[in-house]
Amino acid sequence: MDQLIQHLVNTLILGGTYALLGIGLTLIFGIMNVVNFTHGALYTVGAYLMYLAVAALGLNFFLALPVAILGGLLFGAAIEVLLLRPFRGSDIDTTMLVMIGAGIALQSGTLWIFGGVAKAIPSPFPEVPLQVGPVSVSWLRLFVLGAALGLIGLTYALINRTKLGLAMRAAFQDSDTAALMGVNVRLIYTATFALGSSLAAAAGALLGPVYVVFPQMGGLAELKAFAIVILGGLGNVTGAAIGGFILALAEELGAGYVSSGYRDAMGFLIIIAVLLYKPTGLFAKAERIG
Amino acid sequence: MSGRFTFTTAILLALAATGARAEAIRIGVNEPLTGPFAASGTYVVNGAKIAADEINAKGGLLGKKIELVVEDNKSNPTEAAAVAEKLITSDKTPVMMGAWGSSLTLAVMPKLADYEVPMLVETSSSGKITTSGNPFVFRISPPSALEAETFAPMVAKLGLKKVDFLVLNNDFGRGAAADFGKMLKEKGVQVGLTETMDQGAQDMSAQLAKLKASDSDTIMVTSAVDQLVLLFKQMAALGLKKRVITTGGSQNPDQIIAQAGSAADGTMHLTTFLPWIPEKTPNPKATEYFISEWKKRGFEFAGVTESFRGYDGIRSIAQAIEKAGKAEPAAIAKAFWSVDFMGLNGPIRFAKAGPAGKESGQSKPDVYLIEIKDGRVVVPTL
Amino acid sequence: MSRLLPLALLGALVALPLALGANPYLLNALIVTGIVTIGAMSLNLLLGFTGQLSLGHIAFFGIGAYVSALTSLGFDVEIGFGLRVVHEPWPAAVGFVLATLAAGACGYLIGRLSFRVRGAYFVIVTISFAEVVRLVALNWVELTQGPLALTNIPAITLGLPGIGAWTLKTKLQNYYLVLAIGTLCYLVIARLVGSRFGRAMRGLKENESLALSVGINATRTLTVAAVVSAAMAGAAGSLYAHYLRIIDPDVFAFTTTVSMVIMVVAGGKGTLMGPVIGGLIFGLLPVALRPVMAPEAQWIVYGVVLILILFVMPRGIVPGVSALLARRRPVRAVPVLEASPVVQR
Repeated sequence: MDQLIQHLVNTLILGGTYALLGIGLTLIFGIMNVVNFTHGALYTVGAYLMYLAVAALGLNFFLALPVAILGGLLFGAAIEVLLLRPFRGSDIDTTMLVMIGAGIALQSGTLWIFGGVAKAIPSPFPEVPLQVGPVSVSWLRLFVLGAALGLIGLTYALINRTKLGLAMRAAFQDSDTAALMGVNVRLIYTATFALGSSLAAAAGALLGPVYVVFPQMGGLAELKAFAIVILGGLGNVTGAAIGGFILALAEELGAGYVSSGYRDAMGFLIIIAVLLYKPTGLFAKAERIG
Repeated sequence: MSGRFTFTTAILLALAATGARAEAIRIGVNEPLTGPFAASGTYVVNGAKIAADEINAKGGLLGKKIELVVEDNKSNPTEAAAVAEKLITSDKTPVMMGAWGSSLTLAVMPKLADYEVPMLVETSSSGKITTSGNPFVFRISPPSALEAETFAPMVAKLGLKKVDFLVLNNDFGRGAAADFGKMLKEKGVQVGLTETMDQGAQDMSAQLAKLKASDSDTIMVTSAVDQLVLLFKQMAALGLKKRVITTGGSQNPDQIIAQAGSAADGTMHLTTFLPWIPEKTPNPKATEYFISEWKKRGFEFAGVTESFRGYDGIRSIAQAIEKAGKAEPAAIAKAFWSVDFMGLNGPIRFAKAGPAGKESGQSKPDVYLIEIKDGRVVVPTL
Repeated sequence: MSRLLPLALLGALVALPLALGANPYLLNALIVTGIVTIGAMSLNLLLGFTGQLSLGHIAFFGIGAYVSALTSLGFDVEIGFGLRVVHEPWPAAVGFVLATLAAGACGYLIGRLSFRVRGAYFVIVTISFAEVVRLVALNWVELTQGPLALTNIPAITLGLPGIGAWTLKTKLQNYYLVLAIGTLCYLVIARLVGSRFGRAMRGLKENESLALSVGINATRTLTVAAVVSAAMAGAAGSLYAHYLRIIDPDVFAFTTTVSMVIMVVAGGKGTLMGPVIGGLIFGLLPVALRPVMAPEAQWIVYGVVLILILFVMPRGIVPGVSALLARRRPVRAVPVLEASPVVQR
C-alpha cells in the first residue's frame, strides 16, 4: 500500500512536466499543422540555458528559470521565421522533414558546444525530503510540479483570456477566414511556435536540475511528448494535459509492478492500443482549443 | 568533440617534437569518449597518457618511442568492434587496451580472435570475458566473482541479513548481481529483489519505490558514477535509508561527494584503489608519482580511481612489449604471461582462466571497502 | 534516360572496387551505404508511391537483423509455463530468407493495423512500433542478449551442393553481395510499380476517393506495398547483421530511419532512381566530411543540407534534374520518373 501511494505521488510529479511537454507540441500541431521534430531539441536547449545561467553566470536559480524559458521563446520564434515561414503551404510531410533537419542540427550543435559529458545543475532546495507518513517527496520536485502547473495555467489563460489567444483560436478554426477578418496569421503562427517552444524549454529547465543535462536528453522526451499528444488527441490542449498524467501513471505502475526494463515501453504500447481502439486519441481532436 | 581533439593534437605535437613517427610503437586505445561512459573513458585515456609519457621520458621501448592511437567507441558495442577493426587493420597496432565496459569489451573480443591481436582489459568486470576461451584477453580489473570473493569475509562483520540488488541492465550489472547473489547465499544471507535500470536511465524512482517497500536491510548497486549520483539523490528524495553498497570499481567517490552531497553520506563502495591514503597502497611510491603527475596536468583528483587503470594498463602492455623483444601481436600475446610488476593496486601477473588450451589472462588486484562519511572517504573499521 | 541512368550507375558500381584498389575503409563505407540504400528503396515504396510516411521503418530492418542473427547463432529460451524453445544454429543464408519472411509478416500485421489511421497518426504509430520493438530487443536479454549485443554472427555462406561453398568474409565479397541484392530489389520495385498494382498505388496517393470509386481496394493495395517494403528492409537488416557480425539494440536507432527518409526525399520520392542517388549522396557524405570536421559538425551539416534540398528542390534531386533537362530538350514525360506534387492537408 505504501509502495502504491509512493508510486502515485511520483506519478503526479512526473506528470506535470510531461503535460508541459505535451501541451507545447499539441498547440503547434493544432494551430499550424506542423509535426514539430525540434521539440526534443528545444527541451535540451532549455536545460542547457538553465545550466549556463546557474552554473556559468552564477544567476539565482529562480531568476535563471525565466531566462531559460525566454531563451526557448526566442529560439522558437527564430525557427518559425527562418524555417517554417518559407514553407507555408507545403504539405505536412515537407514541414516535418524541415523540422527533422533542424532538430538534428540543434542536437548536434549542443553536443558540439557542450561535449558529451553530462552536467549537473545545483538547486537551492534542501536534500532532506518532505516526509508525509510513508511518502516522501523532494522539495525540488515539488517546486517543479508547482512551476509546471503554474505554466500550464498561464498557457490556458493566454489562450482563453487574451486577444492573442482569441486570434490563435480563430486561426485554429479556419486560418483563411481569420485572415479575412483581419487577424495577422503570420504573426499568430510565429507566436504559437514560440509559445510551444518556450514550454518545451521550460520542461527542460525544470527537469535539468532534477536529473542531469546532456545533449541526447531530448530524444526520449520528444518521443514521450508524441505519446502524450496522441493520447490526448492531436491539437487538444486539455487532452495533452491529461495525457501527460496518464503516461506518467502507466510508466510508474509498469516499472513498479511489471518490469523496470519496460518502463519506457509503456507509453508506446498505450499509443498503439489507443490508436487501434480509438484512432483519433482518447479525447478526439478538439473542435476548438482551450 | 573537444576532448578527442585534444588527444590527437597532443599526440601530433609530441610527434612533431620528437620526429619519431615512423619509429614509434603504436598502442591502440579503445575507450568511450562520448555517450554515457564518456567521463570514465576520458579519465582512463588521461591515465594512459601519463604512463606513455613516463615511458617515453625514460627512453621508450626497444629503442623506440611509444604512441597511443586513441579512438572513441561512443559507449556502444557495435562501435567498439568497429574501432577495434580500424585500429588493427588500418593503424596496424600490435596490441590494444580497452574497452572500458563489459558489453564493449565482449563486442571487441571476436575481432581479437579473428586478427589474433592481444588486448589488455583495464576496467570490465563481467566473468564472461575471461571464461569464454579467448586467449588474446588479459585483464587487470577484477571480475565480479573475484570482487564478491574478496567481499565475502566482510559480510558477517557488516551484519547483512537480506540484500536487494539494483543493477545496470547489461552484463556488468547482471553479472555482478549473479556473482554477489551466489556468494551471499553461501554465506546464509537472503537475496530479495533484483531490479534493473538502463544505462542511460535518469529516473529510477519507480525502482526505488519498490526497493523502499521491500523488507531487506541492504541494497547492492552496480552502475557507473553518473547514474550513482542520480540514484543517491533520488534515494534521499524518497527517504530510502537502507545501507547501500556499490560494486564494480567505477564509482568515483569524490565525484559522488561533489555532485550528490549529503545524499551520499553513509554509502559504502567496493573499490580497487586507495588514492586517499597513498601510504596504504601496495606501491606507495608509484601511487604518489601518479597522483602528483595527475594533479600537475590539471585533472580533477576525482578521476584517479578510474585513470589509474589506464596507467597500469599501459605499463603492463609496455612490459609485455619489452619482454617480447618486438612489437608483433603473437610475440606480445605470449609475453603477457611473463609480465610481473607491482601495480598501483597490487601485483600484476596473469593467471590462466577459462577453458583449457584457450585460456585468458586474469590478474588479481586488491579490493577495498570504503565509506563516505561527512563528505570524506574513510576506510570503515570492521 | 530512365533506362540508361540505372545501367550506367550499375556499371560504375561494379567497376568501382577495381578503381579503389580495395581500400578497406572506403569499401566499408560503400557496403554500409549500400545496405541503408536498400532500406531507403524499400521505404520509398511506401513513402513515395503510396504517400504514407512511415518513421518506424527501422523496425523491419532491425527485425530482419535479429531474426537472421538468431537463426544462424541458435538460441535456448524459456517462454513461460516451463516451456523451452531450443534452436540449433542454421546456415546464415537460411537466416537471410527467414529474415525477409519475418519482416514481411510484421509488415503485414503493421500494414493491416496502421492503415486504419492516416497522416500524422500513422507517422506516430510507426515510430511507436519501432520503439517498442527496440525496447523488447533491449530487455529480452535471454533471447537477444540485450545491450550486450549479439556477437560472433557468422558471415553468409553461398554454395551449391556438389559445386562448393564460399563464405563471404572479405569486404569485396560483401560489396558485391550487397550490390546484387540491391539490384534485385530495384528490379522488383520497378516491376511492381510498372504493373497494374503500381497504378493502383499511385491512384490512391493522388486521389483516394476517386481511386476507391473505380474499384481499387485500398487496404489490400497498401498492405501489399507494406509487406514488400518491410520484407526488403528485413533483407537489408540481415545483410547488415552478417556483414558487421555484431548487432545490438541500437540497430533500431531512430536516426537510421531519419537517414533513410532523407535519402528518399532528397533523391526524389516516388521515383525509382531517387532513393539510390539520395542513398549514395547521403551515405557517402559523412565519409567525405570526416577528414574536414568533427562528427557532431557533420550531423549539423546533414541537417542543414536536408533543409536546403527542401528549399531548392522540394521534389528531390532526380525529378529536379530531369525537369532541368526537360526544359532544355522537351521529352515525353516518363511516368515512372515523374513525381507528382503531393497535396494532403
